[in-house]
Amino acid sequence: MTIAFKPAETFHDDFTYRNSDAGILRFPFPFGEDAYMYSVNIEPHVPAGPSPAYLHAFDVDEHYVAECRERARVLALDPSRCKVLPHMMTAQWDTLELIMESFARDYPEYFSLAKNGSTWTWINRPLGIEDKFTFGDASTLPYEPFEYITRQAQGDFTLQDQRNDNLFVDGGMVTTQADWSLEFDIGMSFHEWHAPVPLAHQIGVFDRALKFLLRLQQAQPVRRLNWTMTINPRLDTSPENYPVWGPDRTTVTPENLPEKVHLRVELQTLFRLPRSNAILFGIRCYLASVGELARVEKWRKRLHRVLRDLPPELEGYKGLNRYRQMTIDYLAPFDDGAVLSKGPQPDQASL
Amino acid sequence: MPSPSIPSRPKYKPFALIPTARTHLIIAEHAENLPDLPAGSSEAPIEFWVVVNDARAIGTQRLNSGIEITRYRSVPHLLDQLAHRLEREYVGLQLYAIGTEPFIWDVARLSRAHGLDRDEFHPTHSGTLRRRVYCVHCRSFTDNVSTNIVACSGCGAQLQVRDHFSQRLAAFMGFQVDAEVPGELPPIEEAYP
Amino acid sequence: MSNPGTLALRVREAEMIAPLLKRFVLESADRAPLPSTGPGAHLRLMLKDGARKYRNAYSIAAAAPDNSTYEIIVRRVPRSRGGSVFLHEHVDAGTIVEADFPGNLFPLSQVARKHLLIGGGIGITPFLGYLAHLKGTPTPFELHHFCRVEEEETFGQLLRRAEGGKIHLHPELVTEFDLAQLLRTQPLGTHLYVCGPEIFMDLVLATARSHGWPGSKLHSESFGGAHAGGAPFVAVLKRSGLEIHVPEDQTLLEAIEAAGVEPPSLCRGGACGQCMTEVLEGEPEHRDHYLSAEEHAAGRVMMICVSRAKGERIVLDL
Repeated sequence: MTIAFKPAETFHDDFTYRNSDAGILRFPFPFGEDAYMYSVNIEPHVPAGPSPAYLHAFDVDEHYVAECRERARVLALDPSRCKVLPHMMTAQWDTLELIMESFARDYPEYFSLAKNGSTWTWINRPLGIEDKFTFGDASTLPYEPFEYITRQAQGDFTLQDQRNDNLFVDGGMVTTQADWSLEFDIGMSFHEWHAPVPLAHQIGVFDRALKFLLRLQQAQPVRRLNWTMTINPRLDTSPENYPVWGPDRTTVTPENLPEKVHLRVELQTLFRLPRSNAILFGIRCYLASVGELARVEKWRKRLHRVLRDLPPELEGYKGLNRYRQMTIDYLAPFDDGAVLSKGPQPDQASL
Repeated sequence: MPSPSIPSRPKYKPFALIPTARTHLIIAEHAENLPDLPAGSSEAPIEFWVVVNDARAIGTQRLNSGIEITRYRSVPHLLDQLAHRLEREYVGLQLYAIGTEPFIWDVARLSRAHGLDRDEFHPTHSGTLRRRVYCVHCRSFTDNVSTNIVACSGCGAQLQVRDHFSQRLAAFMGFQVDAEVPGELPPIEEAYP
Repeated sequence: MSNPGTLALRVREAEMIAPLLKRFVLESADRAPLPSTGPGAHLRLMLKDGARKYRNAYSIAAAAPDNSTYEIIVRRVPRSRGGSVFLHEHVDAGTIVEADFPGNLFPLSQVARKHLLIGGGIGITPFLGYLAHLKGTPTPFELHHFCRVEEEETFGQLLRRAEGGKIHLHPELVTEFDLAQLLRTQPLGTHLYVCGPEIFMDLVLATARSHGWPGSKLHSESFGGAHAGGAPFVAVLKRSGLEIHVPEDQTLLEAIEAAGVEPPSLCRGGACGQCMTEVLEGEPEHRDHYLSAEEHAAGRVMMICVSRAKGERIVLDL
């Protein structure tokens, strides 16, 4: 497998991020039906699904190098985006082991891991990293193990400690988030962390999800999708920087909409970690502009229907108020009302 | 607008002794917050710790009910003593804190650092509903907030007080309400008297 | 949830360490590293004794740092369903056994300020794993182990491998020991772990509760809560016209799928609601966390991924 990395892409200022044609077709489009509502849409994270994005424990795509550089940039401005409470050191090593082993197994051309007792040698070719360190001894790495490895992975990660029949978000690397703050939320229980989400609590989504996750087993990871929309291909839509990116929402016009308005999909994965019994939560962000998605016939029709029929509470929570109608108006002419196939797959092999 | 259904907002129960405790330590921000516990309320010993805001306060006394009461000169004075006490305590202690949100969550932070779990610490809210607000943009705290929108004490941003509470920071989240269009503010209302 | 497959393990060493205790060192049959595990993890072995099948879970008493081996210790229990007798009589060096991926229902607290371990008899095994881990951490710990007089030497040898902390071996009944004194004087933030015979665990936990220990601080080993197994029964799929035998070690959903019917399903753990199926006759034994208490009581629908039949027969609208 060869990945054509695009290391110079940016996620701020000039926003040069774009998807290739193959990148559009592998986008993990989240809508399998014409209407959207919350559900416990958790399924086993097995190497199968309607997009190649589901085929590996941690997906690496053409944006890998650029996203790692973007993460380093955000951390340089705000080092607190990575924070792990002291009792999570075992979970930090679990994370490092899981990501290194997965990358080396799934992408041997790009990553390799050699173990000689507790001396491990890690090679990351796309980022030009080669480090020898002692597993279990944080002083042999340039960062703590969790930060070290998540600087080399796409998407955000949090660590959940399990105690008292609950999960506590006791650590994280959060630079590509959809408007939630690790600094504010760290240490919270499962329900406290999800507090701002409307509607879902009332229908018991989080009660069921928590009960399910408390029983999550090693080697049986699960996944789910979440989505929102973002103006410009901006990964860092943190509450911390809301004054910086909030004004973007007023810049959408019918003319620039296809390039400016992006569907933001989170491929969320959950892994039971073996040594610490903690849970690693991966929140991988994929961005595609409405213009890119509109090149797929099924997706432009379905996106139109989902946005048109979205419950008003979700519009507010997802921050779509200022441009939802404009997006519907843009997509409406493409939608002839034809019946679409069930499932999110694009139903076409090329663009 | 306050919404009691938001689950990160602490749910405060009325004060009640935990029957399985081996020792009860009841901490109040003000003397009038102390519960009325007649003799025989519990087989386990009960202690009151209370802040009196008086530099002459010293020592412990026994009330007619048999409860021991210790008066502290200020909140920092009490918290300093509490750290020493918890360092020497045994499993079986139940800790209660009664007062305003900033007070009870300061006590909570200390109890957590000493290994108390949520079934060993019991907050009861009493007094003002004014909020401590954490600015998510500049990390400053603004105290005694009674309105839905407040100017941040650090960066000056007009912060909307969100019903999202961090026990660790003992504060509600505030974010700039007019970030998208500067000056576009909803009406400012008295929300937390 | 999906099954990640099973592990094929070869017995590298097997030895009797006491008249009723047999120690096994297991390695991967293909010599590849085994999955990483943590203190408190267990291994569920799937043993085939002719037509009989046993699924027995054993604590991992030790795992090599390079994940090359796991070690378990098995007490021979003659009146059990037979797994331990089979292991004692028929499993030796070179035997290949199948196992599920390790699980952990007895993990160490990451926030404890001290660990207090109280074991009885063969309940030592998870604590051997704990001790190996704890000696590398700054958190203080204390172990009290109760055993029969004749096994004192065996347990003494097993515990000699551990260093640091305080280790106390009591060749006496726990009822002869001043548990109350021990439990009254534990510093705040101590977590208590108990492993041993049911009656032993009940006594220790009850004593702790009576001295004010809160639930968050109490941990006991329990192999309950597994979703898959249960008494065998027959499921009739009315619309498909099929009658399916659901054996004790298979879920209803798995048995239905094996018969060629593919009802909708997603999480396979009783949480998502996808596989909700209407019950036409018979009573379900609910094990899901999706349906409400009222729905459970009514018994008109069930989640076939985890729930089973209470009786011998159930008729489903499939």
